[in-house]
Amino acid sequence: MNIYRIQAVISKEWREIVRDRLFLVLAFVVPAMLMLLFGYGLSLDVEDIPFAIVDYDNSQLSRDYASRYTSSRYFDFKGYSRDEALLAEKLSTNELRAFIVIPEHFEENLLAGKSAPVQSMLDGTFPSRASTTKGYISAINSAYSSELLANYLSNAKGVSAEFAAKALAPVVVSVRYLYNQSLLSTWSIAPKLIMVILMVSPPFLTALGVVREKERGSIYNIYASTVSRAEFLIGKVTPYVLMSVVNSIILWLLATFLFEAPFKGDFVFFLLATSIYVMCTTGIGLVISVLVETQVAAMVVTAIATVVPAALYSGVLVPIPSLSGQAQVIAHALPAMYYADIVTGTFLKGTGMIDLWQDLLILTLYAAALFALGYSLFSKRPKS
Amino acid sequence: MNTTRVWFTRMRVMTSKELMQLLRDTILIIFTIYAFTFDIYWAGSGVSLSLNNASLMVFDGDSSYASRELTSRFREPYFQNVGTLNRSSETIENLDSGKAMVTLDIPEGFEQSLLRGEQSTVQMQVDTTNTVLGLLASSYGQQIAGRYGMEVAMKQQGLSPDGGISGPVLDDRHRIWFNPNQKDSWFMSIAELLTIITVFSMMLPAAAMVREKERGTIEQLLVSPLSAFQVMFSKVLAMTLVIVLLTAISLFLVIGGVFGVPFKGSPWLFLGLATLYVFTTSGLGLVIATFSRNMAQAGMLIILLIAPMIFLSGAWTPPEAMPTVMRWLMLVSPLHYFIDAGYAVLLKGATFTSLAPQILGMSVLGGLNFSLGLWRFRRQFG
Repeated sequence: MNIYRIQAVISKEWREIVRDRLFLVLAFVVPAMLMLLFGYGLSLDVEDIPFAIVDYDNSQLSRDYASRYTSSRYFDFKGYSRDEALLAEKLSTNELRAFIVIPEHFEENLLAGKSAPVQSMLDGTFPSRASTTKGYISAINSAYSSELLANYLSNAKGVSAEFAAKALAPVVVSVRYLYNQSLLSTWSIAPKLIMVILMVSPPFLTALGVVREKERGSIYNIYASTVSRAEFLIGKVTPYVLMSVVNSIILWLLATFLFEAPFKGDFVFFLLATSIYVMCTTGIGLVISVLVETQVAAMVVTAIATVVPAALYSGVLVPIPSLSGQAQVIAHALPAMYYADIVTGTFLKGTGMIDLWQDLLILTLYAAALFALGYSLFSKRPKS
Repeated sequence: MNTTRVWFTRMRVMTSKELMQLLRDTILIIFTIYAFTFDIYWAGSGVSLSLNNASLMVFDGDSSYASRELTSRFREPYFQNVGTLNRSSETIENLDSGKAMVTLDIPEGFEQSLLRGEQSTVQMQVDTTNTVLGLLASSYGQQIAGRYGMEVAMKQQGLSPDGGISGPVLDDRHRIWFNPNQKDSWFMSIAELLTIITVFSMMLPAAAMVREKERGTIEQLLVSPLSAFQVMFSKVLAMTLVIVLLTAISLFLVIGGVFGVPFKGSPWLFLGLATLYVFTTSGLGLVIATFSRNMAQAGMLIILLIAPMIFLSGAWTPPEAMPTVMRWLMLVSPLHYFIDAGYAVLLKGATFTSLAPQILGMSVLGGLNFSLGLWRFRRQFG
């Protein structure tokens, strides 16, 4: 390996990048723009669920019960109605996500000490949203049930309502939220966005690099030159790795200053881990570009191999343990999952090398494996 | 009469040229087929966006019947007991390393105080690095523990000797429409198909266009008797043909066949919508193509548009919770309409007439994209 030849390839590549002004600008603008768009737009909170109430009982108690929903910040009350068919229609046109039916004799049953059914109708198109909504409804219902029971008990036994309420809830759960006490969703999202964006943008920068030379034919200059395979690949990739490292610092600045996510860990460790992660994702782009023959193919393969996995198999939307068998395998086969531990660790938990060395080791091996693969697939002797 | 025939012949020739060019890229074709079949299969079979199996570790300081009973109620589908802790000081370690998402700390004397009718406090620590899931886990945990406590208390108060809960309580009944068993595979496989369609319909026509510019073959097309519209539209036509064909395969084979999604509405209507959507999105791709000189530029511009479209159009995240500005922005994303309409047809049985707003939305955007693309193209090469 000759350092001068690597330098020559680097400076050739760098010049090509710099002379393509629009590309150069986009290389830095795209990651930052994505961070801004996602940071402000990507909210996983299920809130403001549009819903309606059908109250067939129309009693004091039923209205009191309904007010638990209308005053909740999770629900966006769209009004009372008695026309269930119309509400069903609205459920299918997305105007409503849920409606609650309070049957007749609601008050009568409860005052007589009997249970009263209430029915909630949910739009199940998006299962996770439906189950979250169901969770909210169950929580409101069980809180209301406990109050009813406490009143009932205090009347039956002649004790104070407070005492009855206490007696009925002997197990108190004291919850402590760790790492994000105030439950700010930007805190949890911003660091993970760094992971997502660095999974998508570096491979795109890189993937087109080698294929471009293949498609245009300028790669024959390389085939005919003294530059070895390794020198060529290293030289080719280095500018993109460096650009991505710069991008990761920009993303870090946006996450900590604009979105005010706390950074509790060691910045040097973070930068080291991020550089290795960027090498992994750049390596993905490199392997793709060695494999395919055309730029279209490079672009499409990169998109499918990075955009979707970055969202589904990285832990940003879904925690890895919730994934099933094959999806677990895919998640473990991608670098994003390991880097996700590192970003959440260094940002929110304040952990460092001691806790995260395994992830870092895996990423390092991953990057090495990718470059080895790219090296073995790349040949200076084209078949035809 | 004759001119019309010539016009159509030219379109046919151009379209088949595009198809041939596409089909000769073997790796691209293999990968395209993979994306429309296996990729959708993986996503549908493996990914669930709901809170499942939150890993739980318990420090049981009481080791009594009551504490074991409470622990055993933290189970699937929400929780998964992954281990016991020997000291309460081990809690933080396991949360830090991510082995546990939730820990439960049951104090010594838990059963005794329950028997005496006193309140007893159980500590629950929740990792909220993912706030939504953290909140859900704590809400489920509180409900489980609350219910257990209430059952114990009702027994003690003599309200319910058999251990259940009776009396003036709400009988919580849920009915989940359109996907009664909450199968994530129904939702995820469709979401993935929509994503894949988006990626391909944006990239293939744009790439076909930029390639001509990059190689200079566009000059040949310009000196031919083809109009600018024919040059652009034949590309869209060829790609739409391929994408819609693959969508049909994926729809019938994977989504209907493997996952057994019952098509409430007409799958042909869905394919019709998909055609309109591919057309609209291709228009966007062509606009990008007119702005870029080479594939690298086009690639970066496409990512800049496609990533927000996919992430923010409502397939993966609830649109209701988005800030207002973003919701307005999403009105110009064709995917936003396609998601609404696609799910409505496949799962809710929507018909053509009830989808008028979505169809109109996509058509308007498509028309605008094409006009803009054509205008810029004519200005560049006219």
